[in-house]
Amino acid sequence: MASEVNTDFLKDKRLDRIATDILRPVGVDRNFLIWMASLTTLLLVCMYAYYIQLDKGLIVTGLRDYISWGMYISNFVFFVATSLVGMLISSALGMMGYKWVKPIGRIAEIIAVAFSAVAGLVIVSDMGRPERLPFVFLFGRIQSPILWDVTVVTTYMTLSILLYIFTMIPDMAISKGRIGHTPPWLQKTYEVLSFNFKHTPGQYKILLKAIRILLILIVPTAFAIHTVTSWLFAVTTRPGWDSTIFGPYFLTGAFVAGSAAVIILMFFVRNNYKLSRYITLEHFDKMGKLLFLVSIVYFYFNLNEYLVPAYKMKTFEARHLMELFTGEFAFMFWSVQLLGLIIPMILLLFKPMRKPVPMVLIASVVLIASWFKRLLIVVPTMASPFLPKQNVPEAWMVYHPTVIETAITVGTLTLAVMIISVLMKLFPVVPIWEIAEEENAHPDQQPVE
Amino acid sequence: MRNKTILFILLNLVTIVLMAQSPWEVPADRNAKLSTGAFTEQSQTAGKDLYMTNCKSCHGEPGKNNAIKLVPQPPDPSSTQMQQNSDGALHFKISEGRGPMPSFKNVLSSVDVWNVIAFLRSSNKDYKQQVAVRPTFGGEVFDKVELKLNWEAAKNAVTAQLSGTRGGIVKPMAGLEVKLFAKRYFGNLVVDKPVDTDAEGKASFTFPKNLPGDASGNVVLMAQLSNEELFGLVKTETQMSIGVPTNRPPLNEPRALWNVVQKTPIWLLITYLASVLIVWGFIVYVMLQLRAIFKMGE
Repeated sequence: MASEVNTDFLKDKRLDRIATDILRPVGVDRNFLIWMASLTTLLLVCMYAYYIQLDKGLIVTGLRDYISWGMYISNFVFFVATSLVGMLISSALGMMGYKWVKPIGRIAEIIAVAFSAVAGLVIVSDMGRPERLPFVFLFGRIQSPILWDVTVVTTYMTLSILLYIFTMIPDMAISKGRIGHTPPWLQKTYEVLSFNFKHTPGQYKILLKAIRILLILIVPTAFAIHTVTSWLFAVTTRPGWDSTIFGPYFLTGAFVAGSAAVIILMFFVRNNYKLSRYITLEHFDKMGKLLFLVSIVYFYFNLNEYLVPAYKMKTFEARHLMELFTGEFAFMFWSVQLLGLIIPMILLLFKPMRKPVPMVLIASVVLIASWFKRLLIVVPTMASPFLPKQNVPEAWMVYHPTVIETAITVGTLTLAVMIISVLMKLFPVVPIWEIAEEENAHPDQQPVE
Repeated sequence: MRNKTILFILLNLVTIVLMAQSPWEVPADRNAKLSTGAFTEQSQTAGKDLYMTNCKSCHGEPGKNNAIKLVPQPPDPSSTQMQQNSDGALHFKISEGRGPMPSFKNVLSSVDVWNVIAFLRSSNKDYKQQVAVRPTFGGEVFDKVELKLNWEAAKNAVTAQLSGTRGGIVKPMAGLEVKLFAKRYFGNLVVDKPVDTDAEGKASFTFPKNLPGDASGNVVLMAQLSNEELFGLVKTETQMSIGVPTNRPPLNEPRALWNVVQKTPIWLLITYLASVLIVWGFIVYVMLQLRAIFKMGE
């Protein structure tokens, strides 16, 4: 992020073209309403499932004495993981001076906002008595990673929302006179969110400083949020969780899931919003390389996480590992490792695979696999406790997620998609001012569409 | 090396077989020991339950000759080999065990073992039970048998006084074994060795000088008559201030990771609060910049 902005781009006639391009899809149209109506219907169905859970308690789920963390906690880890990509793209790569991330920075931010906001709700879905949520704050123990987790999730969400709002202020100012085709309430919202921004050098100075502070703060907070999430598991002595590399293991896994999510949204924006001029083939190529990089680092951590205990085969670890390698979870385990990690890695080495269509297919598989990967981290360990499972009904020994549980999980995913849809449809999805400034500074560079 | 190993295993096997086949010596007093209670239908039923759980897997069901094939062969309970034992010998063998026959003295109480014997005898028509003569007080049964504990500072000893009462007359009881324990957090600690009462009914135990007591040095002592079969459970509990006063802070006293939030370790408290304050300080500062931007635009 540059320390000052050359406001010449405001007089550049290219700004008009850029703003028109990016603002064209903004607004409420028929397709958007149909889409949101379908999502709302789905959400209502899922909320009915949650109503049943509230009424009857967690007995309506497949969670019992042995496997008390199932789909919900796995889903929580998935949400936290996916949200981390905001930090990777905007902060880490942006601050290192990679200019190509500018058009996709906001997409990453939208994912961060949506997924971190819903992550908190996912945790509540795992509570049998959600009305006792305030007790976590009233009677929480600072010694417990659960309190740290609540703290960092809240902080990361706040930072992500602030970063989203701050980087959009100049766009709101540029756009507010150009969205005559949208409903008045949306124009009013733009007015409010532009915070009287007049593109003065003084305002830019404050803005850039605030953004810089946020970008720096987000890095340690993002590390903290997922490291602490991994500590919820790693501070126990249970086989499969008792690991010193759980922090970086989770973190790199998060970048894989997040990058995949960004690629999927990039594809959508490029094709449906006709923004191929801004989200170019080069972006897909670069994101493909990034996905390869984070995947190979994650692969390295997987190798450590499974090979080292598998070499030693300590009694309890062995039982857990054999369940993964050849036992009850073998099919899921090898599918996730092959389809979600190894095969994508190999494919991404070839340039034709880094084109939009193959990339979105690869990214979709990677994202789905990364959801199941979380399930594989949570459930098999719970299924192999230290003491023998005995004197309980047969059904308590294995975990079978119920329809209600699945519906509630689908509900949280629906909610995240709804937030993403609203942010992507009602606000500029590519930062106008940053693109305009870039094109003004380097008018000779034409993007490869 | 390999030959030596094989030889070693063989020698051990031979030893086990020989040991098992040599006559099973029972000490004379144990051989003569008799049950104080008569074997009743009730004790036979209780014994049958115990036999089915603990003995059947090897000895089989009485009279069916379905014992497991082992060397040496576990005898069927109705066999002569089993029935020729005296009650006392059976009691000794079940309690102590030998070779592949496990010891049951830690699994079954003495009374349990008598019940098992009652069941073993139930199939023997020639058997006539002899019941032990209960110790009496001048030919009469005791009204009450009592233990009392005293501290003899001069001898650094705890003395247990065993006495029996009959018709208001108290008499010391001699020659009976008494055990002394000190109560600890997890179970009872045996103090000194079991001691037989002398002619005055006294059993004297040397008390260790370094046994920790509570903050005031209090120790709860418990004396018990070893033989429960004679008079039932005879025991007494007395608190004496004879231990070393120990004032260890309770485990929930210091600041620790596993303690309540008010007792968070200082380093953690500082780290957590500092991180939260610094980050949220910046967040508030950044939020205030929104106002600055807004004002500057007016």
